Amino acid sequence: MYPISEPKKTPLYDVHVKLGAKMVNFAGFLMPVQYESIIKEHEAVRTSAGVFDISHMGEFLLEGEDVFDFLQYMMINDLNLLEPLKGQYSCMCYENGTVVDDMVYYEEKPNRFRMIVNAANIEKDLKWLNDHIGDRDVKITNLSSSRCRLAFQGPKSDEMLQKIVDVNLGEINRFYFRHCHIKEIPIFLARTGYTGERGFEMSFDNEHAETVWQELLDLGAKPAGLGARDSLRLEACYSLYGHEISDSITPVEAGLSWLVKPKEGIDYIGKEVLLKQKEEGTERILVGLNLLDRGIIRENYKIFKDGKEIGYVTSGGYSPTLKKTIGLGLIKTEFSQVGTKIDIEIRNKLLKGVIVPIPFYRNV
Amino acid sequence: MEYEIPEDLKYTETHEWIKIDGDVGTIGITDYAQHQLGDIVFVEFPDIGVVFEKGSNVCEIESVKAVGDLILPLSGEIIEINERLEESPGLINSSPYNEGWIIKIKINHQNEIKTLLTSEQYKNILERESN
Repeated sequence: MYPISEPKKTPLYDVHVKLGAKMVNFAGFLMPVQYESIIKEHEAVRTSAGVFDISHMGEFLLEGEDVFDFLQYMMINDLNLLEPLKGQYSCMCYENGTVVDDMVYYEEKPNRFRMIVNAANIEKDLKWLNDHIGDRDVKITNLSSSRCRLAFQGPKSDEMLQKIVDVNLGEINRFYFRHCHIKEIPIFLARTGYTGERGFEMSFDNEHAETVWQELLDLGAKPAGLGARDSLRLEACYSLYGHEISDSITPVEAGLSWLVKPKEGIDYIGKEVLLKQKEEGTERILVGLNLLDRGIIRENYKIFKDGKEIGYVTSGGYSPTLKKTIGLGLIKTEFSQVGTKIDIEIRNKLLKGVIVPIPFYRNV
Repeated sequence: MEYEIPEDLKYTETHEWIKIDGDVGTIGITDYAQHQLGDIVFVEFPDIGVVFEKGSNVCEIESVKAVGDLILPLSGEIIEINERLEESPGLINSSPYNEGWIIKIKINHQNEIKTLLTSEQYKNILERESN
């Protein structure tokens, strides 16, 4: 019997409890699922602004003269598309093209990168990266537990944040970042997000966690939990590791073919398999789903066509913005055309559904 | 956490309430239950006219994150469903004892009523569950 570790707390745990949040264990962290109502928090992000504690996620600093070339080898996206002050979304893949993790990394300097990874994959990613350094000049520092991370998202986030930050937010384009200050506290601030709205993600030292959180709430932003984070990203059709991408699903299957770059003359893990998939297609592909009968689409429900099983739901739920159920599913490519009628098995009944275009919503 | 538990209703250990008017019973889920489920987004109703035994699972109540069952407090025939919940399932959250009522039954066995809990007994169960 080996010891099972206690779930970890983010620097804002006490704040969430005081706000009356429903706490759950997510990826080994005690996180707020909701404070008041998942739907109300979702709507606040779509109409005004919401603040999310995302301190459970991983944050690494990669430094050294060989970092750029190292990341070109580890990543399927092309770092030649980057410049200092710019970030990029990518996947790291295995040789067979399936996904180790998805992440965003930011070029601070050609020999210094900041990377944000999924909470559930922190240890796995660190090991995967470290195991591939070889004799390259690359040093990785794990900042995950020493820094607090927040997402500040919504159509009003620019006007609100401008009041307390010492940079001109209008000069920061999407995926770009700055080092700036909120009340003299040094902040890493990026115009990135996982909600499908305009907004920012930031990281700073733990000691300032409660101060910065409160500053954002004082601007009028609503605290928002993981429940809303999930329903928002589902509407925007952003992948969630373990659902749309995983160690058994490739980015091409997940509709992320655009991430697979030719990178001529540059080898990267998974290149051969992924370029082949990009060119020839895959046997299964991610599609958007709606129901025609009444019900709620949920992950792992099976999808049928004419009595034959053709796939399954990777993510599903209720969309507060569209006021109906939506889902994403991996199905056999031959049935993936928009408009195809399919059946979804919900608690032993086959409910009628249809394949619809994605994304369901974007306002970036 | 203080949950609303109206005194004029009867309750079950599975967090349903029932209002008895002669041989008609109006049924819903308690304030505690709606709070546990979170935002309710869908209710799957039974068919009108079907007769169920006490203890049957007659309704599926889906929230954003969970699915809950409505368990029938007394045997009876389904005579009415709250159609407003089709458009506004959130009424169960905002008004669990009034506008958020879920089904009405014709009570078949009046002698089953004594198996139900009073508001005081239900309150004790909630206190035990939170300790």
